[in-house]
Amino acid sequence: MFETTKLTQWIIAHGVSQTVLEILIAMCIVSTIVSITRYIIGSKTYGIYSPIILAIAYSYTGLRYGLAVTIVVILSSLLSYSILRKIRMHYITRIATNYTILAIVLIFFFIFIDTFKLGLENMSNIPPLAFISIAALSDFFIKQYIKKSLKTSLTTLLGTIFVAIMGWFVITREIFSDFVLNNLWIIPILAIANILLGMYKGLRIKDYFRFRFTAKEDDK
Amino acid sequence: MINSVQKLKREILGLNRRNQEYVRPYNSPSSKAIADNKIQTKRVLKKELIKTPEVYKLIRSKKQLEFLDWDSLPKSFVIKPNKGTGGNGIIVFYGKKKGKYEWIRPNGTSMNRRDIILHIENILEGRFSMGSKSDIAIIEERIKTDTLLKQYSYRGVPDIRIICFNQVPVMAMLRLPTKKSDGTANLHSGAICTGIDIGTGITTYSMHMKKSPFLSDTYEMTDSTIDLKENKPLSGIQIPFWNELLEIALKCQEVSGLGYIGVDIALDAEKGPVVFEMNARPGLGIQVANQAGLRWRLEKIKDVKIKSIKHGIRVSKNLFGGEIEESIEAISGRKVLNITEKIYIYDKKTEISKSSSRRKNTKELVRAFMDTGILTSRIDPKLANRIGYMQAHKDFNKTNIPENFNSFKQAQEYIDKHEQKVCKDTDIKRLAKIIEDGEIRIRPVFDVPFKMAKEYKVSEFVSSNSADSIYPITLGRVDLSGYLIDTSNTF
Repeated sequence: MFETTKLTQWIIAHGVSQTVLEILIAMCIVSTIVSITRYIIGSKTYGIYSPIILAIAYSYTGLRYGLAVTIVVILSSLLSYSILRKIRMHYITRIATNYTILAIVLIFFFIFIDTFKLGLENMSNIPPLAFISIAALSDFFIKQYIKKSLKTSLTTLLGTIFVAIMGWFVITREIFSDFVLNNLWIIPILAIANILLGMYKGLRIKDYFRFRFTAKEDDK
Repeated sequence: MINSVQKLKREILGLNRRNQEYVRPYNSPSSKAIADNKIQTKRVLKKELIKTPEVYKLIRSKKQLEFLDWDSLPKSFVIKPNKGTGGNGIIVFYGKKKGKYEWIRPNGTSMNRRDIILHIENILEGRFSMGSKSDIAIIEERIKTDTLLKQYSYRGVPDIRIICFNQVPVMAMLRLPTKKSDGTANLHSGAICTGIDIGTGITTYSMHMKKSPFLSDTYEMTDSTIDLKENKPLSGIQIPFWNELLEIALKCQEVSGLGYIGVDIALDAEKGPVVFEMNARPGLGIQVANQAGLRWRLEKIKDVKIKSIKHGIRVSKNLFGGEIEESIEAISGRKVLNITEKIYIYDKKTEISKSSSRRKNTKELVRAFMDTGILTSRIDPKLANRIGYMQAHKDFNKTNIPENFNSFKQAQEYIDKHEQKVCKDTDIKRLAKIIEDGEIRIRPVFDVPFKMAKEYKVSEFVSSNSADSIYPITLGRVDLSGYLIDTSNTF
């Protein structure tokens, strides 16, 4: 759609594949979205890594399939954790057991999808790393559940998925990714935008709701 | 709506500003390291003779845990991670089952030796610590809550958080454990937060987190405790040792080197104030509890030079005290007035309900004295002349009313006989019998438009030239109904 620029051609000619370049651009975009949602909106995510990796994973699995796998991962983690919490065991072994159970559940999930032909037949084309990336969410989810509470962990999970969906939406628009691929100057612009966001001192949108009690207007 | 948003922007301290303008510039990494480390905090505070809960055991490794002398532990104690955050990993034990190595928790459940070992191992592995780094488990004394605060909390230990900046206590709140918070004073777990008037140490508004599962950080107001057998009102509680608590908070700030600090203090029934924790990044929920913003308070004291702890407390009380009055207004529906207040007196022609008329006519700012000992308010004749009653005074003086009367009865009889004639064709509304300079006199009454405590009204004022009064206006019971008079700020 856009004419490939000389800079892009030069980068590709030096052994950087277009896919790698696209992923790196996606990383910049999603991380900027994370910054905006954190410091302007006030929504929390599991750090910056998980929404990036989740958005990129969704771009490979497709949103519908990606979300289905995410739900399976979370339900399986919740189930295995609630069973395992009754057993006295060390923390790391608990997480490791959780992953093992998750792997079994995912295998059955894929068989279930295939058996009932649930419209996700192109499963074999999806890189396995995409599934592992989504499965890694389990660790973040359980860690926060243990450390804080189920409510906090679920709220952060929703924030993470929300950002990942936004990231997925942006990076899967062909016109957009094509444009950025051929206008690489946008990357330093994103860096500047992040620096400016980093210096933002104003209230987050969430703060307006949180502190609305204190804004009772004076009688005139 | 727009005004509310602007007010929030002006007054509220958000997380972005807290981190950028206060935590980073005023809290050095070395100071933060002290606050983030409970053992180091205790060490530093001990040097300044500030009380902290007594440490029974420090467990640094699994080896030490293996050799823990369980018999040496008291019936009640607390286990906490050295570098824990947000109250995570803290377990309180209230008692021990007889003849067993089993300790009872606030919710009634018990933990045996194996459970406790597992919990301590989790602490050592860093499950509850910042950055999940390996940690130290502290076994320390359980605070026995002060009897006054005990009646307001569900099992756990209530604490008082005081935020200090630039050696001035800026805001304070009381955190009360509830059934929902499982005996902890953590607001996110469901504890109640109650604002404290920094001037007096009296509690004001109370809030607690909404039950909504996904709307985190949203609060609702509560007037009383939530789940006690007999719920009690939460406003108006005088926090014991208030001045001492402010002093302790400032001492903590001094020794820690933290420019912006939150100090958590509990009141022990025997020891008095005991510092639980120093916080280098205190949460912002305190603004909700106090229904007031931190931002403008912090900005107000940013450049103030504080000479001593006492000076810091004085500045704080003068600048930020007084929330109690607003709170009483909110609860009782009555406004609180000081014993003297500045009020506006308008020209007699002013139609006080119309803003155009108020703007058009002259007004005078005067200090009024609140006197519940008199019924009708009084105005100095000179002031009455200035607002347009000069002719009325001249008319009154022409009437040859006797200087004084022997009794109220006699004065009333005179009024009944002559009032109509005196008031006819003049601005005098009626005549009143009053005691002035020890004598019973008859004086003219005028309608005076005025503004007090944001309210506009017209009321009857007796023109009185009492030598005793230094104020041009004395407000009586007629104009003070619906108000509470605060005599603490007298003169």
